[in-house]
Amino acid sequence: MAEAPMDRRHFIKLTAITGTSAALTACGNPENQIIRFIPEDDLVPGVATWKPSICPLCNAGCGVIARVMEGDAEVFRNGQPGVIRMGLAKKLEGNPDDPISQGKLCVRGQAAIQITYHPDRLDQPKKRSGERGSGQFTDVTWDEAIKELTAQLDALANAGDQKSLAFLTRPRAARRLDLIARLLQEYGAPAPVAHEMFSDEVLRRANAISFGSHQLPTFDLENTRYLLVFGADFLGTWNATVAHSAAYGRMRQRAGAARAKFVYVDSRLTQTGANADEFIACRPGTEGLLASAITAEVGRIRKTGTSAAVDLPAMIAATGVAADKVTRIAQEFADNLPAVAMIGGTALAHTNGLASALAVNELNRVAGSVNQPGGVSFVSQSPRVATRHLNELLQGDAPKVLLIDDSNPVFASPASMKVADALKRTPFIVSFGSFIDETSALADLILPDHSFLESWVASAPESGSAKAAPSSFGPVMRPLYDTRSTPDVLLAAFRGLAKPAAGLPNSFEEFLNQEPASQLPSPRPQASGSRAQAPSPRPQAPSLEPQFAGDATQYPYHLIPHASAAFYDGSLAHLPWLQELPDPMTSAMWGSWIEINERKAEELGIHQGDVIEVTSTQGSLRVPAFLSPGIAPDVIAIPVGQGHTNFTRYATNRGVNPIAILAPATVGDTGQLAWAATRVKIARVGDPDKSLILFGGATRERPEWAHGRGDEH
Amino acid sequence: MLAATIGCELRSPGQPTWGADAAPSRWGTSPVFTTARSSFGQAFREFMGSHPTEVAQPFDFSHQIHLSKGAQCTDCHTGVEQGPRAGLPSINTCMICHSQIATERPLIKQITDMQAKGIDLNWNRVYNYFPESHVRFDHAPHIRAKVECSTCHGNQAEQTVARRAVNMDMAFCVNCHKQKQASNDCLTCHY
Repeated sequence: MAEAPMDRRHFIKLTAITGTSAALTACGNPENQIIRFIPEDDLVPGVATWKPSICPLCNAGCGVIARVMEGDAEVFRNGQPGVIRMGLAKKLEGNPDDPISQGKLCVRGQAAIQITYHPDRLDQPKKRSGERGSGQFTDVTWDEAIKELTAQLDALANAGDQKSLAFLTRPRAARRLDLIARLLQEYGAPAPVAHEMFSDEVLRRANAISFGSHQLPTFDLENTRYLLVFGADFLGTWNATVAHSAAYGRMRQRAGAARAKFVYVDSRLTQTGANADEFIACRPGTEGLLASAITAEVGRIRKTGTSAAVDLPAMIAATGVAADKVTRIAQEFADNLPAVAMIGGTALAHTNGLASALAVNELNRVAGSVNQPGGVSFVSQSPRVATRHLNELLQGDAPKVLLIDDSNPVFASPASMKVADALKRTPFIVSFGSFIDETSALADLILPDHSFLESWVASAPESGSAKAAPSSFGPVMRPLYDTRSTPDVLLAAFRGLAKPAAGLPNSFEEFLNQEPASQLPSPRPQASGSRAQAPSPRPQAPSLEPQFAGDATQYPYHLIPHASAAFYDGSLAHLPWLQELPDPMTSAMWGSWIEINERKAEELGIHQGDVIEVTSTQGSLRVPAFLSPGIAPDVIAIPVGQGHTNFTRYATNRGVNPIAILAPATVGDTGQLAWAATRVKIARVGDPDKSLILFGGATRERPEWAHGRGDEH
Repeated sequence: MLAATIGCELRSPGQPTWGADAAPSRWGTSPVFTTARSSFGQAFREFMGSHPTEVAQPFDFSHQIHLSKGAQCTDCHTGVEQGPRAGLPSINTCMICHSQIATERPLIKQITDMQAKGIDLNWNRVYNYFPESHVRFDHAPHIRAKVECSTCHGNQAEQTVARRAVNMDMAFCVNCHKQKQASNDCLTCHY
């Protein structure tokens, strides 16, 4: 070998040796100094096991399985950092035995593994040490932290002011919320406040009125022959996307005439719309009118409609859809039973959202699709926990103690709602978040939760499967850091009160195992203003006329701040895999963009990547333009999710947050935010600033300034 | 090497900068970013294809003494019959015997103390493959085929601290597979 001629490999090696021998001496090998802890579990090295859990990222409640193998993990043990060999979750997949996920998982679920190993994850309890919002925290022990929380709760109880305790969380059909509601009820505090940007409360309310079921519907896509969808991105971001996708796949694989037709109605072509056989663009907020017109036609054809007189031509004219198209769709719908109509997403986020949902429910009723194969049905469920609306927290007296679990209302509510100001008026805030975000940065005490893989999880999905599928699972792996499961922390704090409630379980595990979901006494606090479980039917139908915030002449464009395929409502922007994920429709990544109709853009002299200023009555933001043929000329769309001001190294100060400039319009009769009801004006304010990054192939990203402008790099 | 050289200059996001005044990394691991290596030195050694024969261990564990007392390889290197990898024993494994045997020896006292503090021995692996080789080795089928441990790991009864006594290059594997009429398909090992 020594006699071998100099080849390329050896040449590079020799060059490298001479060039870097000095550098070598500088670079030490500090691995040997790491403290290694004794392993806590018995593992067969190199052999993987799969353990079940539940994806926590949205309300669908997909069952997952985690591949667990031994590995060296950087952990905290007894307050000391070090390395331990332990079973680590390495990959998530759908659980084949789960009726919701059916062995599949969406892209967000796949990225959920990064929550556990995130470099900015909080590893122990923190107490605020600087000014509120300054982001200065000091480490405290769990004993100190829980003692402080208990002392605050005791102080309220001693003053007889239990009503001043508030709990802010995400609306979920989960046992965790059951436990929270029970603890609050026994303490004497009002019901938990539930907040979520893309809440489906409007649809639940409509279903309660139409069908007496205050919950999301389950669609039998597999057996339907005609699917008519109004604004619901059911394959991308809306409701149980994995269950929908699996059933949709089976629906589309039927051959020949049995293959169902899928028609999608929206003012913007979404990922779901791109899959449709036919895309129908309607004016924003007129989905309900269109549904009513189709209902009248279907009722006429099937002779099942109500005799209520409708001004059909006027309704059709308002939608912007050609009249013959409406009658054709109605004819197809009536001819291809079982047919089903679905509404969600943007269509429910106008001021007439409730009326639109009722109109679609009526279409399903007229078509005879309710509780029928190939139609829409409701899974039997234990009653949902009564929750309050965020507005109840903002209006009236600020709570004295506020506990926040898995909710970031400072980011996910319009600036005009002044959530941050309300939080600043609250004397004591406790966050259970695993990360510093815009809301937990205002907390006085942060008690970081385990990741879902480290704790007991339970879910009772409200839709997605024809049969109820409640499930609970134990931890997949041991905790990495000095964190604690939030339900257990709450139990410890409430059990430690001077006058604790009787009969509280010792742990969340005990709570899950002792009381099966079906036997749970439904906690229904009688707090004033609580939403009723199943509201009584309304005497008269709400108006189908949409209202918009902002004068049409001054603010000519409708702003649609849609759920992002990667970040959903922005709560996932901290996961780098999702930042790196090209948007399915635009291929944009690592930033925000504004979708503008390409002909309109030409008219306005706007090119791809140009910086656009978007102004509403509430404020303005600057964002690069993405020209699209799939959006109406008077509509612009900005994905929600980016624009965080304080949310880990990956999301902070990246892109813009369109929620901030939304007007505080509400969906009539529900109090929910009508997030698609804001009008804006746009102006080109600058040349491309390289902030629009489009996926340029498997190995590189291409800044948009080099795209289609003749200055290819 | 070029990549590794540049890598020494680059830092992964959020890592402290390299220098005397820089805060130490949160975990004490190397703040130097190299392509998939924890340190520059490791990247360099692996690039040069150098497997050290002697590997430093926390203390001079004697295989010879333990085997002469009748211990079996699989007593400490568990998992070798069930899975791809032979386990390196944790301190708990040592203490199964040493809570009773030779408890007065200074070294044993030392590891007893370590166990009380929850701290493990930081063994270093002697035999491994570089990731670039794309080789996967599974112990269990070899044990089932009655290949002696010593075939690949040398006679440990003659060794104190384990040395890399056998150079396991591809020829070594292929020859044995030929002799035993095991598959020599590429995908048997490279997958």
